[in-house]
Amino acid sequence: MLNKLPWPTVAWPILAAPMLAVAVGISLTACKILPTPSGENDGKAPAFNADKMVGDIWAAKVVPYLQQKAGPFPEVHALAKADPAAAGAKYGNPKKQANSPWTFAVRLEGKVVTANTQSRAATMDIDADGDGKADARVQIGPAMRGTALRDSLDFIQFNDFTNQIDFAQFGKAFNIYADRTVLSKLPREALEGRSVRVVGAYAMGSGQDLPLVAPAEAEIGPKP
Amino acid sequence: MKLTRRMTLAAFAGMLALGTAAPAYAADLIAIITPSHDNPFFKAEAVGAEAKAKELGYEALVLVHDDDANKQSELIDTAIGRGAKAIILDNAGADATVAAVQKAKDAGVPSFLIDREINATGVAVAQIVSNNYQGAQLGAQEFVKLMGEKGNFVELVGKESDTNAGIRSKGYHDVIDDYPDLKMVAQQSANWSQTEAYSKMESILQANPDIKGVISGNDTMAMGAYAALAAAGRKDVIVVGFDGSNDVRDSIASGGIKATVLQPAYAQAQMAVEQANDFIKNKKSPAEEKQLMDCVLINGDNAAKLETFALTN
Repeated sequence: MLNKLPWPTVAWPILAAPMLAVAVGISLTACKILPTPSGENDGKAPAFNADKMVGDIWAAKVVPYLQQKAGPFPEVHALAKADPAAAGAKYGNPKKQANSPWTFAVRLEGKVVTANTQSRAATMDIDADGDGKADARVQIGPAMRGTALRDSLDFIQFNDFTNQIDFAQFGKAFNIYADRTVLSKLPREALEGRSVRVVGAYAMGSGQDLPLVAPAEAEIGPKP
Repeated sequence: MKLTRRMTLAAFAGMLALGTAAPAYAADLIAIITPSHDNPFFKAEAVGAEAKAKELGYEALVLVHDDDANKQSELIDTAIGRGAKAIILDNAGADATVAAVQKAKDAGVPSFLIDREINATGVAVAQIVSNNYQGAQLGAQEFVKLMGEKGNFVELVGKESDTNAGIRSKGYHDVIDDYPDLKMVAQQSANWSQTEAYSKMESILQANPDIKGVISGNDTMAMGAYAALAAAGRKDVIVVGFDGSNDVRDSIASGGIKATVLQPAYAQAQMAVEQANDFIKNKKSPAEEKQLMDCVLINGDNAAKLETFALTN
């Protein structure tokens, strides 16, 4: 409001100093400085620290929640296709955003059919029912897509965050944490035919071909 | 300041006079305030909200703030003065808008925000926004795929006062920065503007002729960038936008721009009016103030189904 006053240009040098002082005085008393990161101050660390928040809850809350909530993948997926609401009630986050797809907690066991480790968003296609065909795609990083881990947790609410930016950073922090503590330790060579055990989450409709599972825990067995 | 205030007051008094001169049987009023309709996205919001308001028996007052927080504040005064029962608002700044919405609330006029958030809760009744981060990730994943995970690229960023500019940029980078062979050679704001994107793209291209892709924070900037690239004979550059406009749909269909991300603008505006109606008639607030609507990737596979910010079946 203050920078649009129609001061005559001639009077500017005389008026500038007191006006500036007034403007600064007003803006200091009238404005509250919010700890919201904007495009401009990326360099400064905001009070909000998503990585630390995730680190603090990962072992204590996230993994136990997923372990307790997860259903076997074939069961979850069959129910999700037949009755998404029922699958959501059982394996999903009931406090999800009304317009968002369900995100399910799953336990996936099976064999690697194929793996794509060329992409940095590497994945393994897993046969979970023994028919030799892939049923789900598991992300093994280092780049992990989506926000399935965050969205599967019923104790995380968008409304508890200042804005989408903080909420987004929080979602990304889960992927970074999972990559650092779990995925980066997995083997990447000769994956075909190995047995796999994963606890994680996937969003309904994620992945164009197969459900895209984000792991919170993952084990890959020895070469066959 | 005195002069400005007097003029505002005069305008305000004029509005009041108009308001009181309206016939007694006039329907309840809903004010619909958005950025300029020059961008078809905001027009779709206003059209969607107005249609729903009329369908529910309201009179609609459609106003534009041109991304000017002062003008927005005056328009909110107008809405209050005209006795609006609710305000549907696509706001002019995450911080600057908080006071304006509070002012409306204090005057007994509830606000229902669409498209853009504000940095406060408990002031507006609802904040219904597109899941810009989810959408940006979809766009970025498609961009990474089209680029073959490598090459030089340019990012065009939106207006800084708009949270969505930052969130989309963040969504893009959270995906793209995982690929070390993708190198951003320029990042500039074109303020959501097509003409500004055209001129910025021209100069960026002169300095960086070796670019392979452009990822843009919205569709109007993507249109401007593509026009500049085409004019320079560089139709080979991969351009990805965000919004899901008919212009970009047509460009995708003719092999120009490669992809965009649909925000359900029309449905979002209608949903806000439905929630306003529920609040006015039943004193019922939505379960959550902040509501996210997911976005959808648009590329050659589904562009034909896109019409005025909605997918047909």
